[in-house]
Amino acid sequence: MHSTPVTGSAARSTPAGGAGPATAAPVLEIEELSVRFATPDGEIPAVNAFSLAIRPGECVGVVGESGAGKSQSFLAVMGLLASNAKVEGRARFEGRELLGRPADELNQVRGSRLAMIFQDPMTSLTPHMRVGDQIAESLLRHTSISPAQARARALALLNRVHVTDAERRLDQYPHELSGGMRQRVMIAVALACDPVMLIADEPTTALDVTIQAQILQLLAELKRDQGMAMVLVTHDLGVVAGIADRVAVMYGGRLVELGSVRQVLKAPRHPYTQALLRSMPRVDEPADAPLLTIQGQPPNPRRLPPGCAFHPRCSFAQETCRHERPPLVELGASRLACHFPVPAPATPPAEVTP
Amino acid sequence: MMRYALRRILGVFPTLFIIITLSFFVIRLAPGGPFDEEQALPPEIKANLEAAYGLDRPLTEQYLRYLSGLVRGDFGPSFKFKDFSVTELIAQGLPISLLLGLSAVALALLVGIPLGTLAALRQNSPTDYGIMGVAVLGIALPSFVTGPLFALVFGLYLRWLPVAGWETGQLRYLVLPVVTLALPVIAYIARLTRGSLLEVLRTNFVRTARAKGLPERQVILKHALRPALLPVVSYLGPATAFVITGSLVVETVFGLPGSGRYLVQGAINRDYTLVMGMIVVYGSLTLTLNLVADLIYGWLDPRVRYD
Ligand SMILES: Nc1ncnc2c1ncn2[C@@H]1O[C@H](COP(=O)(O)OP(=O)(O)OP(=O)(O)O)[C@@H](O)[C@H]1O
Ligand code: SF4
Ligand SMILES: [Mg+2]
Repeated sequence: MHSTPVTGSAARSTPAGGAGPATAAPVLEIEELSVRFATPDGEIPAVNAFSLAIRPGECVGVVGESGAGKSQSFLAVMGLLASNAKVEGRARFEGRELLGRPADELNQVRGSRLAMIFQDPMTSLTPHMRVGDQIAESLLRHTSISPAQARARALALLNRVHVTDAERRLDQYPHELSGGMRQRVMIAVALACDPVMLIADEPTTALDVTIQAQILQLLAELKRDQGMAMVLVTHDLGVVAGIADRVAVMYGGRLVELGSVRQVLKAPRHPYTQALLRSMPRVDEPADAPLLTIQGQPPNPRRLPPGCAFHPRCSFAQETCRHERPPLVELGASRLACHFPVPAPATPPAEVTP
Repeated sequence: MMRYALRRILGVFPTLFIIITLSFFVIRLAPGGPFDEEQALPPEIKANLEAAYGLDRPLTEQYLRYLSGLVRGDFGPSFKFKDFSVTELIAQGLPISLLLGLSAVALALLVGIPLGTLAALRQNSPTDYGIMGVAVLGIALPSFVTGPLFALVFGLYLRWLPVAGWETGQLRYLVLPVVTLALPVIAYIARLTRGSLLEVLRTNFVRTARAKGLPERQVILKHALRPALLPVVSYLGPATAFVITGSLVVETVFGLPGSGRYLVQGAINRDYTLVMGMIVVYGSLTLTLNLVADLIYGWLDPRVRYD
């Protein structure tokens, strides 16, 4: 098998299929990002040498189990990490380096060109501020419109995210809204200044199933209509299938597989991705087909197994896996970090064929 | 908010009523009475005196009479300060005590909150350690130590301020007493503010505010500080009680003619009406400040207005 180790600079090339012109420069280019947390009992490596480039208008799903480093990677990009975090690497947004920059510099980008929404809508809005003011605040910060115009725009945004009875909601407090409504408000806040990119960190995890579907539909609609680039962090490969163009799979703080949705979901090459897929219910299989869970626990970042972090749980593992960490290599348009990948199907999925 | 406020205001009266009733009967449980002197009075004179003040009546009748007097704003005559009514005695001392107590609470808020905020924003810096170190001292040292110390340093030694005493209209006499009384409260409020602000700064909504690209100042002042002050506001009730008891000590140390001494003297002398008067006044004061604290709480946190 021919493979090239991916280094920082190589990560910039080889766009895979998806939205946006394949040749356009990435909106966000993360290179060799690492995040470590200093704690009283030693450092926790939460993210290791993570590289990912997101092109204008495309949606990249980032999946992985709890603790895989998904949130910390993107909080690092936003400059929102906890104070005990140490960051290394580069993250260029529209050509501008974000990592390690002071807050007032980041503040020119955050909330205007680059927005983020979070997992828990119940606690992510300021409890003592009216919803309308929380949306208007972003506008007043980043544009030079009047408070009255900001209010009008807040109203339009609430309508845009399909909040019913928007006029009245403007003057309500967050606790007067349901979880789904609050997440819509969060999205309205994020959209306020027409960002070119939205990072959505498990935007539906805390919501019940019907509401989840509605929020995802809204995100899909926004992506389509506004041509916004999007990162969708989730546990759930099913969520990714509906919206994303590409999927990045993380394990133990590292990127282990990256490819088009089609390739990753139909023909995963990494044993972990395969196991993830097998652990989720499928519409194209009988409802009573046995659901497999991935054996073992997600790794504790404090004590990552040596070699391939997945080896204690991997059914493909061999001796090498225990000692040597598999490098991330390019396979056509995809990337993979595994010594003994799942064999590719005889006829590879269409997009991956060059 | 109006309904919430109204409910809270109405809630004060039953509480006050319970305080009055309980105190009225509990005071009578103490052995001795107002006319038990060192040299016992001849029984018939004592009986006459008791009859004159209605003390020979059944306790429930006395209680009802006291209540009906209260409703008319009459605290009754003092048993010991023979020529004064309780109202007159309280009217003499209360303004000074009120000025002392309220200034102390106000000073504590005005100084404690900014200090706590500063310490939180500079967490684990020398500024933080300095403020918190002084706060520990402020809480640990009792006013009967800090009071004379301040009098010594700023009064006798530096001669900036009067050592003790009182002249009407001369606010200089209040400075040291107010600072002495406020010091532990400042310290406590600074610690409360620091701890709670640090906690709020880790919440999701502060992260959202930062993700909006708001300047840090705005994040703190508009998003974080208000919820961070909730514990401080809750502490205002206990703080008032603390200041009231503390003012007894401070008034004595600095020789202020406040009303605190009446509570002590009244209790020693079994001057029932005077003690009751003080309890009613201080009780109402504490309840009022608790009420104010509740209303501020409701304003700070819209969630408590609806329950
Ligand atoms: N302030 C911190 N101090 C120490 N460790 C931290 C801190 N913040 C996060 N971590 C650790 O970093 C690791 C990666 O966390 P991260 O939030 O990125 O996981 P995730 O992939 O988003 O998982 P989830 O699906 O549960 O959100 C976790 O093990 C977490 O415990
Ligand atoms: S490197 Fe080895 S242990 Fe890791 S996923 Fe591949 S086969 Fe499994
Ligand atoms: Mg997460």
